[in-house]
Amino acid sequence: MIRGAWSPDTIAWVIVAALLPTATVAVLEQGTGAALRIGLSWTVVAAWQLVFGIVRGQRLYPVGAVTAVAVTVLAPGELALWQLVLALTFGTVVGELIFGGWGRNFLGAAVVTLAFLFFSFPEAGHDSPAASAAVAAACLPAAAGLVVAGILSWRIVVGALAGLLALTALAGADPGELAVQGAFAFGLVFLVGDPVTAACTNAGRWIYGALAGALMGLFAWGAAGVGAPQAVVFAALIASIFAPLIDHAVIAAKDVARSRRNG
Amino acid sequence: MRISIRQGLQVALPGTPEQRVDPGKQVSSVGFDGADFADIRCEIMVAEGDAVAVGSPLFRDRKRPDILFTAPAAGIVERIALGPRRRLASLELRVGTGKAVRFSVPAAPARDSVQHLLLESGLWTAFRARPFGRIPDPGSAPEAIFVTAIDTYPLAADPKVALQDWRTAFAHGIDLLTILTEGPVFICQAPGENLVGERSKVRCVQFAGPHPAGLPGTHIHRLLRLRPGRRVWQIHCQDVVSIGRLLESGMLAPERVISLAGPGVRRPRLVRVPAGASLDDLVAEELTEGGMQILSGPAIAGREGLFLGRHHWQVTILPYQQPRRGHDWLPSFFAFKQTEPVIPSEALEQALGLDIPVVPLLRALSVGDVETATRLGCLELLEEDLALPAYASGSRQDFPSLLRSTLDSLEGSI
Repeated sequence: MIRGAWSPDTIAWVIVAALLPTATVAVLEQGTGAALRIGLSWTVVAAWQLVFGIVRGQRLYPVGAVTAVAVTVLAPGELALWQLVLALTFGTVVGELIFGGWGRNFLGAAVVTLAFLFFSFPEAGHDSPAASAAVAAACLPAAAGLVVAGILSWRIVVGALAGLLALTALAGADPGELAVQGAFAFGLVFLVGDPVTAACTNAGRWIYGALAGALMGLFAWGAAGVGAPQAVVFAALIASIFAPLIDHAVIAAKDVARSRRNG
Repeated sequence: MRISIRQGLQVALPGTPEQRVDPGKQVSSVGFDGADFADIRCEIMVAEGDAVAVGSPLFRDRKRPDILFTAPAAGIVERIALGPRRRLASLELRVGTGKAVRFSVPAAPARDSVQHLLLESGLWTAFRARPFGRIPDPGSAPEAIFVTAIDTYPLAADPKVALQDWRTAFAHGIDLLTILTEGPVFICQAPGENLVGERSKVRCVQFAGPHPAGLPGTHIHRLLRLRPGRRVWQIHCQDVVSIGRLLESGMLAPERVISLAGPGVRRPRLVRVPAGASLDDLVAEELTEGGMQILSGPAIAGREGLFLGRHHWQVTILPYQQPRRGHDWLPSFFAFKQTEPVIPSEALEQALGLDIPVVPLLRALSVGDVETATRLGCLELLEEDLALPAYASGSRQDFPSLLRSTLDSLEGSI
């Protein structure tokens, strides 16, 4: 019997490959410090995966790279080593591994790590618009590749852009400002668009995407400031908390519609 | 009527068969694999060494003794192997010369006499009832019968070619089906000319699109969606031909046209063989060099075994592959007891041609959540419907088997 190519291992490696342009831009912009941070972060995540692999028999996937690049791109502030390691440990273990590892988590490890960083160490200076237009540009081929591969759902992307633009229009702001914000692009593709933590019904994907986009817009124009990584991370966090509920509602609505049809 | 299925996946494989029937294929033994009758406790009615004619009963269902399984060829019973709990493991006939049993065909067909004829000839076992996919109970009547006259599996035989010499027998068979149900008989076929003329209860429906457009599960979902209390039957068009030929001649003609194809076949083509033909005989002198895996059924859903499966219409020969293990390079203290997760992807969304959320369904099945699986609609499905999602997930989890155990536990509780 034959099996398709899109096994969980393949999907994980494709996501890692999609991170390459962004990681390259981050290293070019921030220097070798960024490369060190990516390497160190991935090592910390992989170490925890190994622990759970030995103790709990959980499978290993290379998705720690998403967390590693995310902390480099979205939280480039001055962090002490222990702060970074603590945040990565919390994000990986509590966000992903205690649920059974990648594919069974309902929050992304990267999102939990960043939320932990922003909450616990606000003094590190996360407020300045972090990622540049070059990062945004680097996310474009990644997004295209992931959509073509069927890993990033185009429904989520379109829904999120619609939500974001709607909120931008409501706020009376210039949508052109969004295009040059790397944090938005990176968050949309790799945090909101994470297939595991997003909604997994097609109708749910539209709602989830729109919710994430609207929250991004709300936080950006309302509180944190344009391009602030906080806006992106907390929007992704709240949206993925709601994702199971959205799916549940979609399925329940289908049930109701069907039983009404059947009389 | 024409229905386009928008979902679906093309599974490309080399070794497409030439769509012309080669009648010259000989096999020296035929038989039954227990895997096809896993749900049936058999009462064997012959002994090793007995001579049997075409259509003589070999074994029957212990619980429903009217359901007979009959010999697809004349010959000698070579071997009867029993498995655990006295279930049939395999039964093999050496093909010899012999006559065929003559059945009495009722002159004016009524439901009872028709049912009796089908049970006696063993053709009743061609039906599968949904939900649950069992051979239907004698005496039960479905709300509709779905005739599958389209095959969208990779490397499948075109049913139109398989039927071309037997159009009248097919029409006769369809006439008989209309006696078995009060409701409609749907002939689900590929786009093109209708295979039979439409009558009051007979409707031709053309399905367009890639696999799973050819699955009865897809057809039933579009035409008469299963709901609690509803029962429908499905049958393959070539079994309908067998019914028609039984009506015409009074004798069982259990031949089928199958596709013998795949990357490992020298001359991929359609062949005419008896039902239950030995796979070894089928592939003798057909293979290319190298280790091969011989599957009864399609590449995405077939099984290895001794004989052509009851509901299989193709034999696929693939290059032998080492079972994928993954993480081999890690030291042995990694046990990986965990099953693989279901990662949502667009391929997975395309793989189930039904209005059922596929990722929640697979997740429910993989953790054995019967309640959620039922709520999502798993009662509409059979193993074959999950073959493409299992393929698309690329996972080592056997979702069709998980569905089967879920259905079994549901059936027990109803």
